[in-house]
Amino acid sequence: MLFHSTEFVLGFLPACLAGYFLLGRYVGDRSALLWLIAASLFFYGWWNPAYLPLLCGSVLMNFTIASYIHRSAHKRAWLVVGVTLNLGLLGWFKYADFLLHIVAPTAPGLHITLPLAISFFTFQQIMLLVDAAQAPDRRATAELAPYGAFVTFFPHLIAGPIVRPSEIIPQFLERGVATPNRDNLTDGLVIFLLGLGKKLVLADMFGGFADIGFGAARDGVDLSFFEAWYATLAYALQIYFDFSGYSDMAIGLARMLNIRFPMNFDSPYRSGNIAEFWRRWHMTLGAFLRDYLFIPLGGSRMGERRRVSNLILTMLLAGLWHGAAWNFVVWGGLHGTYLVTHAQYRRWFPPLPLLLGQTLTLLAVVLAWVPFRASGYADAMAMLRGMLGLNGIVLPRMIVETFPSLSGWVGPVGIMPFLGDSRTLSFPEVSACLLLGWVIVLALPNVQRMTERSRPWALASGFALTIQELLFAPHVAPFLYFQF
Amino acid sequence: MRLLLLSCAASLLLYTLAFACMLDRPLTLGALRARIDANLATGAMIAEPKLVVIAGSNGPYSHRCAIIGPLINRPCINAGVAVGIGLDYLFLRWQALLHPGDVVYLPLEEAQYARTRATVALGPDAAIMLRHDLASLRQMPLDRQLAALFSSDLRAAIMSLLETGLLHSGFRDPRMMATGAANVWGDHVGHTLALGADNAPTLAAQTPYHPTAAQIEHGYGMALVRGFLRWAATHQVRVVGGLPTGFADSPIGDASLAAIRAVYRDEGSDFLELPNRSRYPRADFFDSPDHLNEPAQIRHSWAVALALRPMVDRPIVSPPGQKVRLVTSDADRSPPAQQ
Repeated sequence: MLFHSTEFVLGFLPACLAGYFLLGRYVGDRSALLWLIAASLFFYGWWNPAYLPLLCGSVLMNFTIASYIHRSAHKRAWLVVGVTLNLGLLGWFKYADFLLHIVAPTAPGLHITLPLAISFFTFQQIMLLVDAAQAPDRRATAELAPYGAFVTFFPHLIAGPIVRPSEIIPQFLERGVATPNRDNLTDGLVIFLLGLGKKLVLADMFGGFADIGFGAARDGVDLSFFEAWYATLAYALQIYFDFSGYSDMAIGLARMLNIRFPMNFDSPYRSGNIAEFWRRWHMTLGAFLRDYLFIPLGGSRMGERRRVSNLILTMLLAGLWHGAAWNFVVWGGLHGTYLVTHAQYRRWFPPLPLLLGQTLTLLAVVLAWVPFRASGYADAMAMLRGMLGLNGIVLPRMIVETFPSLSGWVGPVGIMPFLGDSRTLSFPEVSACLLLGWVIVLALPNVQRMTERSRPWALASGFALTIQELLFAPHVAPFLYFQF
Repeated sequence: MRLLLLSCAASLLLYTLAFACMLDRPLTLGALRARIDANLATGAMIAEPKLVVIAGSNGPYSHRCAIIGPLINRPCINAGVAVGIGLDYLFLRWQALLHPGDVVYLPLEEAQYARTRATVALGPDAAIMLRHDLASLRQMPLDRQLAALFSSDLRAAIMSLLETGLLHSGFRDPRMMATGAANVWGDHVGHTLALGADNAPTLAAQTPYHPTAAQIEHGYGMALVRGFLRWAATHQVRVVGGLPTGFADSPIGDASLAAIRAVYRDEGSDFLELPNRSRYPRADFFDSPDHLNEPAQIRHSWAVALALRPMVDRPIVSPPGQKVRLVTSDADRSPPAQQ
């Protein structure tokens, strides 16, 4: 079930909230928690009930192993067993085909369907096992109900944020967690609606522009300069609005249920350098990679060469986490290279002026989205050729005639076939949409940073457009991060 | 919570006021509206029995009433505009002007049959009705009225501002230079071979979209056509179904054809099917799989007219063309190269 579908907004969510708070009020918090687990499993099973046993089995397996970790003297051995089993499960469903293709390129594929959310619920539980082995706090795994509620909790089950068990499980155990709180309900609903608007009104609009350009590159079309740049800039906006919109919705939903999630995006495109970008983009994944991969690998403690290799390895795995394909590995490798370059620069030179740093960082991030979005090496190269102007620079004839100074280096065409709806006015239309999107991203506060006073204004400007897309738009585009 | 509700209410009010009273798209929707109104105005001036061609843009681009009318000896209005315009809207507007003895020819695009109710409700006609034609909107079902109220998205708002700005800055619409124009009968003229030459690579690469037979059979457009056929039967208006023009190398599937034929046959209407099923080589097209270029448009119109002639309940007066022939370009004077 998608957060931005009518069945979720008008059916599941009100029913879930009503059941949770009614049980909390008249029966008790424990019953409300069980209701929440049941609702979350229903939410997950809506996509494909065949994978419900996998989710339930994973929860039971990890709960059992975590209990052994707490009780046993061989904590490390149980931790290795647990992490191996989790990674084995993830590896089989997500990477078996990819690895098989590397080992035996001619062998027929296994064609294993990737269970929804497996990357997220596997990582959540690896975190729990590692924390259980390191920390003496047993509350997280003392009882199955709060543990099950934490893992299956529908606001973060499908695409994060990747929250720490120690942050969430104690909240489920608080007395009165299932008692309605007007402030939480209102704040949560506002944040949810603003996230819904980011997804439906902005992300899907920019996704349409990006799909046309990247689709043309896939089909072997030589994109012109503006077609290639506009598609890439549109994709950069799409993935930001899509994923941060999803995160806002998740944070809002959890808030309505009296659970606080950490922030997941903090206007990352405004970052002054690439390290800052990774502290502001998908912050919970960044924290997970730092605490559960980079630092255990040795982090910065074992010399510069080891630090560089740890950084590159961490980012390559971050890329691979997004999907079993080389384009994600390339994306991770690019970001690893950016981070190493930035670190070396900082050792010898003073920081760049803020605006220059922001511009360079944004350019580097946008360029890295090309292999991430492209469906293969050839498509990515085709897109980059277009962005370099190697396929020519053209604009609609009416623009060239309006600005004669352009005619020396820009060729006039009737329409640009891979820009927007390829109509006469598509160029100004897509330009205006991109301008609006980048102004929102670069100049306005994000949903989490908005003040109590500014959120109603944001809602007033976008609620009707959100309703238009939710109830009247003829199709629903799934979240990009569902595929990861 | 009160502030939240107030914000939502203010947003809805602002949206309604903006799209119903202020924002407009004079260049894109304005052109469509002007075409519809001009066709209706021409139709309203004709008292004698007439032929009305209703379709998507394959109507005006691939059919020429200036040729068909004289050949069947009755005035002909090319009332097709664009594939996205709802059939319910076009039927509603034209029903007021159709009289006993009139003939309606429907070479509808496949997509027009297959469109879903939700897609029809959000077509460009929704915004046109909301902003300029409340009389028609009031006659639509309640769900269509509600959808019209919520038919505009953020892109529509941005385009409204852009188009209004361009119009006020003296913007010269380049479309006439690029694609030709329309004549008094609603035919698209001037889309010559020379103008279309630039589109050859695009046409060569295009893969036409064909809805499935099931989509056609169960589409909301099909239900609208069926309703119109029943209305026509009770008002002594003859309807002739037909096929849209398209690439010869991308024919309409047999099951889809059967579904299209069936609705006309079931409702007791005629169905016109040329030997080539209105399929032509790609070289005969102008800029899309629905738009023949001008010479091919003229040839196709001759073929359609000759096939329509026995179906039209009116004796042919020869020589054709003296009564309503309107020569709009040199191409009209040319005899058809093939029929």
